[in-house]
Amino acid sequence: MTVVGYAFDEGWTSVRRAGKSAVISIGTIAIAFVTLGGFLLISVNVQRALDRWLEAAELSVYLQDAITDDARAALESYLASQPAVLAVEFMSKSHALERFQNDFPELADVTASLSDNPFPAALEVRLQTGQFATDMADELARTVAEREGVADVRYDRRWLARLLAIVTGARVAGAIAAAVLMLGAAFTVASVVRQSLHARRDELEIMQLVGPPFSYIRGPSIVEGLLLGGIGAAVALAAIALVFTMAGRSLEADLAGLTGGAQLRFLGVRESAILLFGGLAVGAGAGALASRAVK
Amino acid sequence: MIETHGLGKVYGRGLYALRDLTLTIDKGEFVFLTGPSGAGKSTLLRLLLLQERPTEGEVIVGGRNLARLSQTEVQAYRRTVGFVFQDFKLITSKTVFENVSFALRVLGLPVEQQRRRTYQVLKWVGLQHRLNSLPEELSGGEQQRVAIARALVNEPHLVLADEPTGNLDPDLSLEIMNLFREINAGGTTVVVATHDRELIKWVGRRVVQLEQGRLAGAEVPQ
Ligand SMILES: Nc1ncnc2c1ncn2[C@@H]1O[C@H](COP(=O)(O)OP(=O)(O)OP(=O)(O)O)[C@@H](O)[C@H]1O
Ligand SMILES: [Mg+2]
Repeated sequence: MTVVGYAFDEGWTSVRRAGKSAVISIGTIAIAFVTLGGFLLISVNVQRALDRWLEAAELSVYLQDAITDDARAALESYLASQPAVLAVEFMSKSHALERFQNDFPELADVTASLSDNPFPAALEVRLQTGQFATDMADELARTVAEREGVADVRYDRRWLARLLAIVTGARVAGAIAAAVLMLGAAFTVASVVRQSLHARRDELEIMQLVGPPFSYIRGPSIVEGLLLGGIGAAVALAAIALVFTMAGRSLEADLAGLTGGAQLRFLGVRESAILLFGGLAVGAGAGALASRAVK
Repeated sequence: MIETHGLGKVYGRGLYALRDLTLTIDKGEFVFLTGPSGAGKSTLLRLLLLQERPTEGEVIVGGRNLARLSQTEVQAYRRTVGFVFQDFKLITSKTVFENVSFALRVLGLPVEQQRRRTYQVLKWVGLQHRLNSLPEELSGGEQQRVAIARALVNEPHLVLADEPTGNLDPDLSLEIMNLFREINAGGTTVVVATHDRELIKWVGRRVVQLEQGRLAGAEVPQ
């Protein structure tokens, strides 16, 4: 207990004494964590939009006009029996036309001028979610296209999967960028801690002669790093929150089409905790590393 | 308590600060180290505290060969030794009280006990009214007494003192020597390096004389 209290006293004193260089190292930590936090924030929201789309994603099996009722019924029960399928609904040609007219009333002239109904009948398939179901649905989309009476298959998840791959790629890139910045931030923290040790070298030399356990020598350095990292991460979190509240509301309207009007979400407790503890951990690690110089 | 065998310390190019020193100091003894300036008194004390490592020979304290101690054991060993330096070695940024209590803090004593014992020992050296002063606000003699208080506060088995009265007037020197005698009476081994012949005569204990890093002859005046 006394070593912890001592480490916090001395660590905090060192942070204050470091002055400008402490501010700089807190700044670099904050920049690294703003990057990481920003990516997390975007990633959380994009993931939510994707999840919504994935849930809504359907397999549309367009039927040839000439298909017999028997063949249609067979196809329908085949689809319904597939484990990846949640539900199958038949949409007749006239129902398809009606839906188009409802969706695009401004094109009423065009549809009214059509002598023939150009819309094919379709079986609208709602799919299960989850990776396993997705794999099976991919397979189903391929095989059902081959079956008798099927004109065409529209399968939303194909392009969603591609989008997902892009998002994942962006996420990895963000993580790498944040890691590089983090490494730089750790170095600045380590150099501030080393400076503090240098400033205290006479004191440390004298302390050594009293024979303190190494925790008394290293503890203050670890705490100094911990404080710098923690403050940096907290500053970053506050900055992200500020930008989010100022810019988020106006973005929400612009992005309504993508998000389905859902509110943009701020980082959850878990993500915020990851950022804060990440800052504390990076700082403490850098401090510990710097303190190994003391013999 | 202390044994040295063929102890030698070389600085730089072949300058022997200590040479082939074989010496035994028993537990509970009070020993003066004396000899002209540059004889190697401070060097011997530094080797005993493991502030430096010997070039030749070995040092055995309390049955343990100091050369074989690990880093952690060195720290633990130092906690059992009280040291008074020629140049005090007080932490300038800490108060008198903090300088002394640090020696107890590293032992992990409860805070209440740290406070009580620090106050007692500072009162014992007559500095109870300067608890919150910084070292630079004290006279040389007062700083010397803070250093002594720090060395004695954790009741060490062994006290090593390098010119502990170098900055003190004769009356105060005798008082300080009385402190050492008191702690020695409690069973602590005490080794004091000094030039002060008067003091040695007055205390009347075993004297180890060094000259150019060698033993020049031991005498026991009592
Ligand atoms: N760090 C060092 N580097 C080089 N030489 C040193 C060092 N420390 C001591 N010496 C030399 O070793 C010899 C012994 O020095 P030491 O300090 O032990 O003498 P001393 O007996 O304590 O003298 P004094 O009475 O003046 O304090 C001296 O010649 C000194 O110059
Ligand atoms: Mg000396």
